[in-house]
Amino acid sequence: MGKFLIRRLLQIIPVLFIISFVVFCLVFVAGDPVALMLPEDASPEDIEQLRESLGLNEPFHVQYFTYMLGLVQLDFGDSFRYNQSALPIVLERLPATLELAAASMIVAIIIAIPLGIWSATKKNSPLDFLATGGAVLWKAMPNFWLGIMLILLFSVTLGWFPVSGRGSFSHLILPAITLGTGIAAEMTRLIRSSMLEILNQDYIRTAKSKGIRNFYVVNKHAFRNALIPVVTITALQTSTLVGGTLVTETVFSWPGLGQLLIQAVNTRDMAIVQASVFIIAFVVILMNLIADILYKILDPRIKY
Amino acid sequence: MKRKAFWSIFLFVFSAILLVGCSGGTSSSTTEPANTDQKGTDSGTSETKSEVDRTLTVAVGSDMVSFDIHNHNNTSTEAIHVNMFNYLFKKDANGEIQNELVEEYKIIDDLTVEMKLVEGVTFHNGDPLTSEDVKFTLERVATDDTLKEYPNYKQIKEVQVIDDLNFRVVTHAPEPSLFHRLSRLGSGILPKKYIEENGWDNFLANPVGTGPYQFKEWVRDDHITLVPFDNFYQGKVEEWDEVVFRVIPENSTRVSELLTGGVDIAVNIPPADWDRVNSNEGTSVVQEISNRVIMLILRSTEGLPTADPRVRQALDYAIDDGVLANTVLRGGGVPTLTMVGPGNFGHNPDLYDTYNYDVEKAKALLAEAGYADGFEITLQSPRGRYLQDAEVAEMIAGMLAAINVKVNVEFLEWSNFVEMRNANENKEAYLLGLGNSMFDGAYSVDWYRAERYKGHTDYKNDKIEELLNASASNMDQAEREKQIQEISAIAAEDVPFVTLYQEKINIGVSDSIDFDPTPDEMIYAPSIKRK
Repeated sequence: MGKFLIRRLLQIIPVLFIISFVVFCLVFVAGDPVALMLPEDASPEDIEQLRESLGLNEPFHVQYFTYMLGLVQLDFGDSFRYNQSALPIVLERLPATLELAAASMIVAIIIAIPLGIWSATKKNSPLDFLATGGAVLWKAMPNFWLGIMLILLFSVTLGWFPVSGRGSFSHLILPAITLGTGIAAEMTRLIRSSMLEILNQDYIRTAKSKGIRNFYVVNKHAFRNALIPVVTITALQTSTLVGGTLVTETVFSWPGLGQLLIQAVNTRDMAIVQASVFIIAFVVILMNLIADILYKILDPRIKY
Repeated sequence: MKRKAFWSIFLFVFSAILLVGCSGGTSSSTTEPANTDQKGTDSGTSETKSEVDRTLTVAVGSDMVSFDIHNHNNTSTEAIHVNMFNYLFKKDANGEIQNELVEEYKIIDDLTVEMKLVEGVTFHNGDPLTSEDVKFTLERVATDDTLKEYPNYKQIKEVQVIDDLNFRVVTHAPEPSLFHRLSRLGSGILPKKYIEENGWDNFLANPVGTGPYQFKEWVRDDHITLVPFDNFYQGKVEEWDEVVFRVIPENSTRVSELLTGGVDIAVNIPPADWDRVNSNEGTSVVQEISNRVIMLILRSTEGLPTADPRVRQALDYAIDDGVLANTVLRGGGVPTLTMVGPGNFGHNPDLYDTYNYDVEKAKALLAEAGYADGFEITLQSPRGRYLQDAEVAEMIAGMLAAINVKVNVEFLEWSNFVEMRNANENKEAYLLGLGNSMFDGAYSVDWYRAERYKGHTDYKNDKIEELLNASASNMDQAEREKQIQEISAIAAEDVPFVTLYQEKINIGVSDSIDFDPTPDEMIYAPSIKRK
C-alpha cells in the first residue's frame, strides 16, 4: 500500500506537466487578449503598445519558457483582469467550490442510496418504475432551469431560502439540491443495477438460506459489495463538481472556481485559466487516488 | 457497529438539513432578504428594522476588476470606485464639468493649467491630500504604458508642484479635452505616501481614497462592502451605514433578488423582465439614456457596394430605427443620426431623437447607384453584448430584404468578435455599440478619421478630415464644439456608419429608495436617498 501510494503520488508530476503544456498551447492558440482588455474605441497603436508591454508579442517558445520558469516555482503569472498573482485568486475560490461540491454529494448520497437499494429490492414494482422513471426525468432537467425554478418556488414565492450568494448554511441548500439531485438520479440507477446483480449471487442465496433477516442480507452482505461502482461514480462526479459547476454557480451567484474560470476564458486571462486548470487537474487526480484507496478498503481482495 | 455509525450520520445530516430548511422559512421572510449578501457575522435575525434599512444593497452584473483605477477599462468598476475616490473635476447631472478636488484653476497657456486643491481634504488613512499626490497619480498613468488607461492620459507631460496645494498640469501639445480627462475614471487621486510606504499590493488589498465611502471588504465574485468616511471633506454621508455591491451575473437571479427585497437596486434588467418588476408591489424599472450608441459600422473599401455613398444612404433609409428602438428594444433606445449623444461636448441636437426612414427613397438611391436588383452583404454581430443585439441584427436583415439587399447575419462570440475587428476581418457591416467615457464628442467622431481606420472602414471624407485636424488642438472650446457638430452633420449625410439608436440603461429599483440613474452609469451612493 505504501509503495502504491508513493508511486501514484509521483505519477502526478508528469501528468500535471503534460496538462500544463496542453493548456498553454490551447490558450496560446485561442488568440491574444490585448484587444479584449481595451475599450471598443482603442486605436490599433494602443493595442500594439500594450501587447509589447505585456510581452505578448514574443514567440511561442519564449513565452512558454517564461511560463514554465514561473510554473516550477508555482507562479502562474499575473492575471490580466485582476492585475494580481493568479494562484492566490484561484485558491481563494477553492473553499466555495469544495463546499458546494461536498454539500451536493451529501444530497446525492442521501437520496440515491436508500432509493437505489429500495428500487432493487422491490424490482419491477410500481414504486421501482416510479423511482427509475423519476431518475431519468430528473437527469434530463437542465441545471439552470431547475435552479431558476427552485429560486422562484422556494425563494420568491415561499421566501424560505435566500435567492443567491454565499454565507450562511441556508445559502447552500438550493444550489446543493440543484446539483445533488441531478447526480442522485444517475447514482440511483447505478446502485439499483449493481444491487440487482449482487442480489442474484450465490452467497446472497446462501445467506438467505441460513435464515439471516432480509434487512441484514441487503444492507450488510449485498450493499457493501455494490459500493465499488458507487465509489467510482462519486469520485468522478466530485471531480466534475470541482471543475464544472459553472451553470449552477452563475444562477446562484456562488463565488466558486467555475465562475472564475469561465470569465477568465471569456477575457482570455491566461494566468487564471492555467492556474485553475492546474488546480482542477490536481483535485481530479487526488479524487481518483482516494477512490483507489477506498476500493481496497471495501474489497481487500483488490491488490495494487 | 459500522452500520449503526452510518445510519446515525445519515439521520443527523438529514435532520440538520430539515431543521435549517424550516428555520430559514421563519426568518428569511422578514429579515433575511436585506441581509442575504452578508456573512455570518451579521446574519440579520437580531438586527432591528431601522438598522437593516440603512444598508444600501446594489446588485451588479459583473465583479469589480481591481482597485487599480489606472488599470481597467470597466464602467461597472468605476461605478463602485466613484464612492471611494475623487477626481480633480466632476461632471454634473447636465454633463457640465465642475470643480471637485480643485478649488480654482487658471489656464496659463495652451500647454499649462495651474490648479489649486481644496484645503482640508484627507485620505481615508488620515493623510492630507497634497499636490504631490496629484503628481504621483497623474504621472503614473501618463508614463506607464502597461496601464490600460495610459492611452487616455499619455497627453500629460508632467505635473509641476508649486506648493502643498498648488500645482501645474503640463501637456505635450495643446489638449482641448484635458478637463474631460481629469473628470473620469483613471484620474481619481491616489495616496502617494501610503502607496510608497506600503506597496501596491497592500494598496490593492486595502485601498485608500478621499471619497465619501471607504473600503471595508471585497469577496471576489460575491460582494464589495463600503462604509462612510467620517472625515469626508464635504461632511460625512449619513444616509447609508453600509453600501454593499453584490455580484449577481444571472439576470433572472438579479431580478428575483430585487423582487424578494434582497437588493435595493439591480442593474441591467432585461426587457423580458420589465413587466415582472413593474407589476410587483414595491419595485419598478427606471430608465436613463446611456452614453452608448449602437450602429452599423460599414466598410467603404473600393469594390464593395458600400463604397458608394448612395448605397450607404439607402441602407440608412431602409432601416426603421424607430421600430428597433421602440419595438425590438421595447422603448429601450432613442433613435439617432449622430454618435455624439446629449451630455457630450459637441452634441448636435438636430440629429438626435430622429432618423431617416423611407423605403422608396432607399430603392431609388440603390437604382441610381446601379444596384436596382440589389446585392448581398454580410452583417457581423455579437450576441448578448448589447440589449437585444441578436434580435436587432435579425430585424435589420429583414428590413434590408425589402430593398433587395440580402443580408447574411454572422453571429460571433464576443472574444471572436473583438478578434475579427482587431484583425480587420470585418465584412460590409458589423453591429457595434460605442460608448464614450470622456463625454467629449471628439472621441466619437474620431472614428471617421481616414488614417486611423485604414484597412478597417476605409472611409475618407476630405471635409471631415479637415475639421478633425482643426478641432484636435483647438483650445477655443466654442469653436471646437461647432466643428464637432459640423462633423456629425456631414456624417449624417454621407453615412460612413448607420447610426441606429442610443441605448438606455434599465435599472430595477425598490420603491423605498430614491435613485435617478445617470448616463455615465455611476452608482453614487451619496445621491441615493431613502424615501
